[in-house]
Amino acid sequence: MVNRWIRSIDWLILLPVLGLLAIGCVALYSSSHSFQSMGHQPNYFSAQLLWVALGLVGMTILSLVPPRWIQSLSPHLYVLSVLLLGAVLVIGSTGMGATRWLKIGPLRLQPSELAKLATLLALARYLSRPRVDVNRPRDFLLASSLLLLPFLLVVRQPDLGTALVFAAMALPVYYWSGLKSGNLFLILFPGLVMLASFNFYAFLVVMAALFIYLLASRRSMALISFNFLLNVFIGLLTPVLWNHLKPYQQQRIRIFLRPEMDPLGAGYQIIQSKVAIGSGGLWGKGFMQGSQTQLRFLPEQHTDFIFAVIGEEFGFIGAVLTLLLFALLLLRITQFASQCRNPFFSLVSIGIGTIFTFHVLVNIGMTLGFLPVTGLPLPFISYGGSAMLTNLAMIGLLLNFYRHRFEAG
Amino acid sequence: MSRFDEPRWRSRRSVFLLVQGLVFVLLGLGLYRLQILHGELYQVHSQKNSIKVITENPVRGHIYDRHGRLVVDNRPSFSVFLVPAQTSKETIHRVSEFLHLDETEIRRKVLGSGSFKPFKIARHVDLTTLSFLQEHVLELPGLEWKVEPRRFYPYPVAFAHVLGMLGEVGDEELKRSKEYEPGDLIGKKGIEKIYDLQLRGRKGYRFVKVDARGRTVEEVRTSQSRLPYPGKDLFLTIDSRLQRYADSLMQGRPGAVVLLDVRNGEVLTMLSEPGFDLNLLSGKIDPAIWNQLLGDSLHPLYDRVCQASYPPGSTYKLVAAIAALNEKIISPNWTAYCPGYFRIGRKVIHCWNHKGHGRLNLQGAIKNSCNVYFYQLGLKIGIDVWHRYSRLFLFGRRTGIESSVENPGLIPSAAYYDRVYGKGRWTEGMLANLAIGQGELLVTPIQMAQFVMILANRGYYYQPHLTLRFQDPVTGEVEAPFYPRQHIEGVDSTVYRVVLEGMHQVVASGTGGRARIWGIQVAGKTGTSQNPHGKPHAWFIGFAPYESPEVGIVVLVENGGSGGAVAAPIAGQLLRRYFYYQGKFDYRAERRAIAAWLKAQREKAIQDSLKQLQNRPVEEN
Repeated sequence: MVNRWIRSIDWLILLPVLGLLAIGCVALYSSSHSFQSMGHQPNYFSAQLLWVALGLVGMTILSLVPPRWIQSLSPHLYVLSVLLLGAVLVIGSTGMGATRWLKIGPLRLQPSELAKLATLLALARYLSRPRVDVNRPRDFLLASSLLLLPFLLVVRQPDLGTALVFAAMALPVYYWSGLKSGNLFLILFPGLVMLASFNFYAFLVVMAALFIYLLASRRSMALISFNFLLNVFIGLLTPVLWNHLKPYQQQRIRIFLRPEMDPLGAGYQIIQSKVAIGSGGLWGKGFMQGSQTQLRFLPEQHTDFIFAVIGEEFGFIGAVLTLLLFALLLLRITQFASQCRNPFFSLVSIGIGTIFTFHVLVNIGMTLGFLPVTGLPLPFISYGGSAMLTNLAMIGLLLNFYRHRFEAG
Repeated sequence: MSRFDEPRWRSRRSVFLLVQGLVFVLLGLGLYRLQILHGELYQVHSQKNSIKVITENPVRGHIYDRHGRLVVDNRPSFSVFLVPAQTSKETIHRVSEFLHLDETEIRRKVLGSGSFKPFKIARHVDLTTLSFLQEHVLELPGLEWKVEPRRFYPYPVAFAHVLGMLGEVGDEELKRSKEYEPGDLIGKKGIEKIYDLQLRGRKGYRFVKVDARGRTVEEVRTSQSRLPYPGKDLFLTIDSRLQRYADSLMQGRPGAVVLLDVRNGEVLTMLSEPGFDLNLLSGKIDPAIWNQLLGDSLHPLYDRVCQASYPPGSTYKLVAAIAALNEKIISPNWTAYCPGYFRIGRKVIHCWNHKGHGRLNLQGAIKNSCNVYFYQLGLKIGIDVWHRYSRLFLFGRRTGIESSVENPGLIPSAAYYDRVYGKGRWTEGMLANLAIGQGELLVTPIQMAQFVMILANRGYYYQPHLTLRFQDPVTGEVEAPFYPRQHIEGVDSTVYRVVLEGMHQVVASGTGGRARIWGIQVAGKTGTSQNPHGKPHAWFIGFAPYESPEVGIVVLVENGGSGGAVAAPIAGQLLRRYFYYQGKFDYRAERRAIAAWLKAQREKAIQDSLKQLQNRPVEEN
């Protein structure tokens, strides 16, 4: 009995998650201590412990429900989360220049976290239907509109970082569901064209490459010309749109891409984060000994920059250990996704892996100073109730799928 | 056949694993670069982040006069600050109204910065005002105050030029000494400038750990921390009572008074009139006051003892006399006839006494300050000899006294005239003029004082100086500069005897009679130097007692008129004070006498103006 129970759990997923939760709590305790020494801040550590406990309960429940329920509930969940996102724009509470939260009693919920999971489930359910082929324009557009709706709602908040998660989810999931490499390129090209459109020669080179590629792909003449003209149109429109933006909007985008332009705002955060991590050295300054953390030079250290706390106080060793736990978890999820017989399970798993990977890359990349400051939290470690619940729910789903991994869909 | 077939997933899985692997390798390399490769750099950075140096300014040395009477010390002064992050518009409004400050200006500087660094909005707030603010501090968030020592001058006007003032360090000065840091107050003029490094003391440094908002968390002890060390106290050679007395004698007339001890070169009085109120210039200078001082037609900021140079007039006849005697161009008994005028070429110049002095020997000529005699003597000497002797008596170069603005003066030579007028285009008439101390010749009162000392000591002299000693306020260690006795070589002592006797007669029975004091033999020489700015400058130079000289004196009243009538009485008064009341002077009696005298003057002035009013025809309406 116990043996069966043990074997029904994917320890390669659960153990890294528990390890990351532990690291997160330690880092948060240290950071929370610095807040308390300043006097007037809530105790993030205790709150986070509560969220972790709630999340683990939720995770356990989700790992035990019949998987069919999940599949059949996903459209309703999708509609619900879109409605919540809409509600945020109407009655949400504002903080840090963006409206992201819904206040329910004493709780502040961030519906965009739930929307990530709900959108993934809806997308996976749609793509796992036997007749749907993402290579067909009609199905492609339908799947994409599932993503586009929450994406636009989150952009309006504005929360560009979280919105990018929806965009980042698209290609890996499409690809996993059978998108042909040729079509993958066709989707990637408009983005490339947008970037190149600010330089005339880069634009010419990209358009020439596209032209050759289209000719070589041996598609119908109509498709080739439509695609080519579409890209020309995008390329010409981008600079016009850019010039249409107000100067402060342009500035915001520039700073997003190059934070050192704003040494007092985003640039300051990056500098302090790099100093915190760099000064940790090999072994770190020790638990609650990091001067950057304890003297609060490190901004947003309980949420977006918590990895810098780990880097400062536990050094290269601690940071690499954290990275290894993430690597173990994420590689295991990919591995698991490829073993699933059920297409829905498989797509959801790969989507979850993608979301986590994106978060880890963007968050730690930002903390290390080579990616822009987006405000994406580090899963299982950053403070935040909605994110913690959603992340542990995703793990619950993975554990659920693991128990039913041999059942075909 | 399905899209979800196992083999197709396997190839896709490799793509995913590859991408994920790359992400982790990238992040790992990023960590390695920051923590291992550049770890030490960032450790230094994080130290700098949180350890702040707090500079503690030392107490600036006090300055005393020769008898240990206080001349400058430091008094507490209160500065008011606002902490931008804590203050409010309401506070700014109330505080600026109360302290009469420009509200919009403060708002612009304080609001919006959000900094925790206190911003100074007012200096030199007096205790009453501060107490009022302190009582209301609860209603005025962000208000802070700090005690900052400020220079206080008990005698702000009489010592204005000797002491000089402090000011914020400038870019040039920052380059000059490593001791200076931006924002420091340093000596800008006078003694405060010359001895700034001795007076300022040594700064102390504390190291504190601060948080990201700049608030102190704890004190850090390092090998570099040290306590501030107070600056040295300076004792001047000046006698503050004589200095103030001289100030009262001048009555605000522009000019200079120098009294020095000829036995050691110590300057007892060094006064440039008019002075200005140093207390008004202490700390932050009010631009309105500054502009008023700059615009004053009497130029009170100008140091008339060291910075200004004047034609010395007849006082300079002594140089020509010495040159002629020492070069044996004349004997003391050589005579010349003064008919009251003198003809050079087609030009006729008059003696100051148009009736003429008749036949005079050298001493008679000095005594009566006969121009005609010295015109003739000048022509006999020639410019080269005259120039050589002028330089021999140290004219045309700085004396080296502790002044930041000393002027070397000007002693024209043949080469100088060649340069200015062209070779052969200047005449002997110019030399005749130089011999009576007119023309291009320019000297400073301090140079004249040095000259008097050389004469009184018959060739021996000391560099005129203001520094008696420095004293370390902590250890009591005394450090006195040494000024060696120096000698003017090549002048025969008999020459001095003849000239000094002439000077003696000047006061005893000549033009300088009003410098005479009862019981003390004074020797001197008057001067009335013509200048293009109006009435002649009144000069008196002299020393006393004649037999064994103690002090030398120089009085100059700019555009004051005749030296004998204007400068000599002032010199006499000061000498009288020096000899009669040395140390045991009844100050109250003197003050009463001065008050009575001033009252009489005032009465007289009132009477005069009343008379004028009565004599004026009555105007309609």
